[in-house]
Amino acid sequence: MTIFDPMMWLIAFRSLFQHRIRTSLLGGAIAVVTALLVALAGIYVGMKETLLVSATTLMSGHVNVAGFYKSTASSSSPVVTQYKQLMEIVRRDVKDLDYVVQRGRGWAKLISDSGSMQVGIGGIDIANEPGFLKVVNLKSGSLDDLKRPDGLLLFEEQAKKLDVKVGDRLTFSAPTYKGTNNTIDVTVVAIAGNIGMLSSWNTFMNDQGLRKLYQLNDETTGALQIYLKDLSKLRPVQEGLRKSFAEAGFELLDNDPRPFWMKFDGVNRESWTGQKLDITNWEDETAFVQWFVTILTVAATTLIFVLTVIIGVGIMNVMWISIRERTREIGTLRAVGMQRRSVLAMFVTEGFLLGLMGTGLGVLIGGALTAALNAAAIQLPKGAQLVLMSEKLIVTPTPGWIVFAIGFITGAITLISIIPSFRAARLKPVTAMSHVG
Amino acid sequence: MNAIVSIRDVVKEYQLGTTVVQALRGVSLEVQKGEFLSIAGPSGSGKTTLLNLIGCVDTATRGVVEVAGKDTAKLSERELTDLRLNTIGFIFQSFNLVSVLTLFQNVEFPLLLQRKLGAKERRDKVMQLLEQVGLHTHAKHRPSELSGGQRQRVAVARALVTDPLLVLADEPTANLDSTTGNQIIDLMKTLNQQKGTTFIFSTHDHKVMQHANAVIRLADGKVLERVSAREAVEHALSLGEAPQAEARA
Ligand SMILES: Nc1ncnc2c1ncn2[C@@H]1O[C@H](COP(=O)(O)OP(=O)(O)OP(=O)(O)O)[C@@H](O)[C@H]1O
Ligand SMILES: [Mg+2]
Repeated sequence: MTIFDPMMWLIAFRSLFQHRIRTSLLGGAIAVVTALLVALAGIYVGMKETLLVSATTLMSGHVNVAGFYKSTASSSSPVVTQYKQLMEIVRRDVKDLDYVVQRGRGWAKLISDSGSMQVGIGGIDIANEPGFLKVVNLKSGSLDDLKRPDGLLLFEEQAKKLDVKVGDRLTFSAPTYKGTNNTIDVTVVAIAGNIGMLSSWNTFMNDQGLRKLYQLNDETTGALQIYLKDLSKLRPVQEGLRKSFAEAGFELLDNDPRPFWMKFDGVNRESWTGQKLDITNWEDETAFVQWFVTILTVAATTLIFVLTVIIGVGIMNVMWISIRERTREIGTLRAVGMQRRSVLAMFVTEGFLLGLMGTGLGVLIGGALTAALNAAAIQLPKGAQLVLMSEKLIVTPTPGWIVFAIGFITGAITLISIIPSFRAARLKPVTAMSHVG
Repeated sequence: MNAIVSIRDVVKEYQLGTTVVQALRGVSLEVQKGEFLSIAGPSGSGKTTLLNLIGCVDTATRGVVEVAGKDTAKLSERELTDLRLNTIGFIFQSFNLVSVLTLFQNVEFPLLLQRKLGAKERRDKVMQLLEQVGLHTHAKHRPSELSGGQRQRVAVARALVTDPLLVLADEPTANLDSTTGNQIIDLMKTLNQQKGTTFIFSTHDHKVMQHANAVIRLADGKVLERVSAREAVEHALSLGEAPQAEARA
């Protein structure tokens, strides 16, 4: 008799049913571990995706084409001249392109009636940024008003610090790349919910307004943010663009996987002048937050592992008890003509079935837990908000992780059940039959 | 060669701590095909031990045990299991049915192990046997819903479903009242006569013994004698047991 015989499954199922209480306890424990695994995986994926979406939309795109313009050897500006031509090349040569946008970059003093602060500025062409609306959680005002040349978006934290609300007028003051100081007046048109550390130091304003502040021409911007349909193509796209730009006569910096603001010192020490391009991807630009995801992964994996071991030991014990109770039955079946390997298969089937039912239940509980967590829209702790660029905990269940949870835990339980089953199968039939208790 | 069981100079020793218990001390005997043989003897005389050796669920310390022409000492564990499955049927003192299976499934079980018959043939075979033991109406019941006598009848059906050459029964009536016990022995006897299946059963009840063709009398791990049922009953009675009203010679 093999595991393909329905009788094997029938015996396993009925034996589990006969010991309902024990089965429920064990199955419950397995379900809890599975549910935890599913929920933790959901949190992990959710965080990673939140980070990905926020970081790429707000800061980098999937692939980022930035660069430095140096009028003298020791003074660099983080700008890209001739961006329209670059955009053409991107649209022509990137096969997996979803869309591409340009984003101005600035660093200026923002002055209100009651105070001032040094902030970064993203110059945004809101009409062409569909993703931006999804990531930014508008609290008051209108994102559409960023189409006004003097439109400014602040985050709640900044608005509070400067004591301003939608409609208030502020002043930006910044040194232009030509060396003189310039100021422009701006109007707060939107206030958004905080998004991680970004909300403490970055603002967004109309890209034309930003050009006016820095007295830049229409062909100049801070960076191109390229969005791909398939994220696994990051490297080839980067490689391809390096080639395309070089062929079109653009100079490029050596590949350097660091965020742009860490590169000024190095660039200023080099002797060249003029424009050089720098191609990075979102992981480079957000490397400083990736460690958080890594720690989270390690912690979650450890937790799951420890839980699985604890549950595993419990299961092993219960299997021993179950097999001891059924020693006489084993002896009988062996006497009647059941082979050792069939006895082994019979108990392993039982372990497998228990694992499958437990994990199945666990996935349901995990799903419910996920839904509940999302519905509760739990506020993330401040520290987590900073790195994840999200205010709320977002849990994203994925089929891959669910299949993994079922497979991994059921597999572990089945493996564990082999040991006592093997002992049972090896007993002499007569020894097994004369067993008392 | 008509001997289905042939045992020569068999010794079985058990290690009990530091002492060695000899359960069988040089037993030799032959059982012919079609016999309805009883093994009798006082408690501790070695009846169970002998049946276990014949049934290939235990191995002799010394001596030769041949079943269906095969020297069991030379068979692997797997071959012994196959021999049990295909050649030997077991009826146990305490029935030993699988509690989670229905009567039908209990009887069907050895056929599933054999993998010889299709579902329909298995069904017919099982139902035919359940009918023979008078339990075809209870096919879907679980053993726990039956009386002891009914359970033992299921065990008889299970032992016979594979058409074994040899059926072994260790005190099959010990857990039953005497009327039910007699019914079980009658049932076994009928099957013995209809199918020619060899039966070896142990008992120390002379009312059960008297149904046998022959009785092997064991004492202290040795075969005393092989006698007719009548002689065995007379011997038992001479030991001072009062004759029972329903005892038949
Ligand atoms: N597993 C064992 N370990 C040690 N000694 C054993 C074992 N099984 C049987 N014996 C001993 O072997 C001898 C024969 O036992 P056996 O069970 O064969 O007798 P029996 O004739 O079947 O007795 P009963 O009528 O009480 O069933 C006894 O002395 C018994 O104590
Ligand atoms: Mg006995």
